[in-house]
Amino acid sequence: EAAYGQEMNIQFSDVSCNSVAQKIYVELNNTVPCVRLLNATHQIGCQSSISGDTGVIHVLESEADLEWPLSKGPNPPYMVLLESSLFTKSIMMKMKNASSRVAGVVVVQKTSPPEFSPHTTCPNENTGVYTETYDHNLAHCNTTVWNPRGNGLSYEEFDSPVFSLKEDNETEVIKQCYFDHNRVVNGSGLQYPLCAMQLFSHMHAVTDTATCMRRSSMDFSTSPVMVCDPLGGYNVCAFIRPYNSTAFGHKENESVVIAAARLDSRAFFLEDSTGAEGSVSGFVTLLAAAQALREATQEAPPTRNILFAFFHGEVFDYIGSSRMVYDMKNNMFVIDLDNVHSILEIGQVAVRSGTNLFLHSDPVSRRNNTVHDEVGVKCFYLWHASLTDFSQPLPPSSFQRLLRARAIPGIVLADHQTDINNRYYESFYDNAAHLNLTYPSNLSPEEQLEFVTDTAKSLTEVATAVARALFKQAGGNNSQVNKINADPKTVTQMLYGFLVRSNNSWFQAVMAPELKDILQPNPPQYYVGVAKSSHQANALTYLVQYLLANLTGTATNLTQSQCKKPDELPNESTYLYSYLWVQGVVPPNSTQRESFCVRTAVRLVKAVSPAFDLGDYISKEYSTWTKSQWKFIKARIFLVASRDLEMLTLGVGVAVLFTSLLVTYFVRTKADVLFSSVREPNNAAY
Amino acid sequence: MNLERLPNEEKLTLCRKYYFGGFAFLPFLWLVNVVWFFKEAFVEPTYTEQLQIKTYVKRSGLGFLLWVAVLTTWITIFQHFRAEWGEVGDYLSFTIPLGIP
Repeated sequence: EAAYGQEMNIQFSDVSCNSVAQKIYVELNNTVPCVRLLNATHQIGCQSSISGDTGVIHVLESEADLEWPLSKGPNPPYMVLLESSLFTKSIMMKMKNASSRVAGVVVVQKTSPPEFSPHTTCPNENTGVYTETYDHNLAHCNTTVWNPRGNGLSYEEFDSPVFSLKEDNETEVIKQCYFDHNRVVNGSGLQYPLCAMQLFSHMHAVTDTATCMRRSSMDFSTSPVMVCDPLGGYNVCAFIRPYNSTAFGHKENESVVIAAARLDSRAFFLEDSTGAEGSVSGFVTLLAAAQALREATQEAPPTRNILFAFFHGEVFDYIGSSRMVYDMKNNMFVIDLDNVHSILEIGQVAVRSGTNLFLHSDPVSRRNNTVHDEVGVKCFYLWHASLTDFSQPLPPSSFQRLLRARAIPGIVLADHQTDINNRYYESFYDNAAHLNLTYPSNLSPEEQLEFVTDTAKSLTEVATAVARALFKQAGGNNSQVNKINADPKTVTQMLYGFLVRSNNSWFQAVMAPELKDILQPNPPQYYVGVAKSSHQANALTYLVQYLLANLTGTATNLTQSQCKKPDELPNESTYLYSYLWVQGVVPPNSTQRESFCVRTAVRLVKAVSPAFDLGDYISKEYSTWTKSQWKFIKARIFLVASRDLEMLTLGVGVAVLFTSLLVTYFVRTKADVLFSSVREPNNAAY
Repeated sequence: MNLERLPNEEKLTLCRKYYFGGFAFLPFLWLVNVVWFFKEAFVEPTYTEQLQIKTYVKRSGLGFLLWVAVLTTWITIFQHFRAEWGEVGDYLSFTIPLGIP
């Protein structure tokens, strides 16, 4: 994406060059900026000017205190520092309208407010199935508003930079600087020099996706500047009975039940996306269900195949699922839409009131009797969940994209009956604390990994129900059903790894050696990111891929070199399976890991919106989201002098210049008087 | 080059060369013509070739002013409307500014 400018502390002779800058500026390193995203019609996000935006720091204490930067303060422009509880739509909109006096906003993350959702009230309303033509009454969330707390802040456009800081040493430095220099004393005016902050987040792209893609491709200069990149990633797919991965199109006599979940999330500050209830609850449940089904499907394979599909990019107008449907329609996927029997999608399932689970279905497709009966059958398998109102539409889910193509029977499983239970939908407060993921305080990280929390137990129940329903839906033998149980230990380990700390012993054991650097001491990033041209996915995709491989695949005896080229062996086939070399556990009495080769049906399928393949950047059908590029993003604080002092310095300098010119002129004209000399050659020089 | 040292015929040839050269879409040649030969054409005492030099200088001056008018009008229009012209504006540009429409 962009290169970060970093200051190198060279030890030797250059110290004298750098130290002046270091004495003036304090660089802030752990910042998360708000960046610009574009789609077919709009640009959203934030933009700074190309040489950064500077403002005098003002720490906002309450909403009433906004008067100071907006009207009363004598030293505009101001850089407003907010705590997260004051990061509300009304305050942000007031500052947006006064952009001449507010140079930028910095949000310091502290306590979470009781509810906050910067997403829209009707997520993905234009790319779901409920359009005006499908059903006029259900379009645009006319019947049910799914995210009533949504204030749409993530989809607003700001023309000043907005950054986010965590509460740490750097924030202390800023607060100290503010208290030393910027505090108002007894209502009297502030004394210069004042503490100021400068934010650089100049975005290259502007207007909309069509403009920025056109400008990216047409630059005539010698070093073309890329202006924006399409969003996208990889979907993770696994069949329980894999097909030949090179044979695309319809498969005769094959009927597939799709089990789907969403991988990604977003927040106002994209790099800070957590998505605990929004996406983690769903895909962890599906991973646990996949593990629960492994033995039963191997002993007594059901008549229909099951596809576990983890879609990426769903927040941004269903990138992953629209891509899969497009591939299926154009014979670029191993099955096509005729092979799809039904779909069970797992939505947000972690914030349950009691033991309630609800099944959402689409009323329009159920007007067809076959679809209605099939949905009824599915509901029967998930017998301890309740059906929602017949006339209520589906919540935002990947199933809607499949319905747009074909009336397939399907159910979305969720913990909410009408609007969602998630108070922090698509915000950076949707984290482990929101799910009440608490561990006793005296446990070490490894002990926390093994501790089974209540959230994990609750999700295990859901996973067991899902696995049994899938088994029966796929025509499995009824006598085997009660042996299918999800493992609470797996669920709690996954919740720990995805919401608290991804660098733990279990995740290390299932990852490949070359990918172990993606494991960090904090949770992974849930934002989908830009589609990279190389075959590289982001950390979340790899984690889900390797976990699914571990939970549904089989360990083999192959050596590392055999694992790279398994086709040479008689019983292995890279058409059907993929072979992954994983690190394995460290046995108690040694330091070497017992690595091994996993044979798995898990594949990564490219998930980039079809609009970019088709070149249709104004598409209303597919997602057109792109992210702007930038050169560098940084923030720094320094002391700033008053305007008057600056003008005075400039004036004095100009005066000295003119005086010196005058003096030189006079000296030159009166040179013969001033430098009277007997010698001729001096005068002859003229 | 110091014009005082040239004979008058050569001054005329030089002025004529610059005058005709300016027709090849080179208005700065006309500007040079005007600035350089201004003293020769209007200040110096009369000599035979001065009349022709005078006409060349006058015409060069007119041509230059015409170029200035045309270019100023086009540049003002382009700078003002480039953003609104969208695709056409981008195709007409050599370097497109980043981050502004």
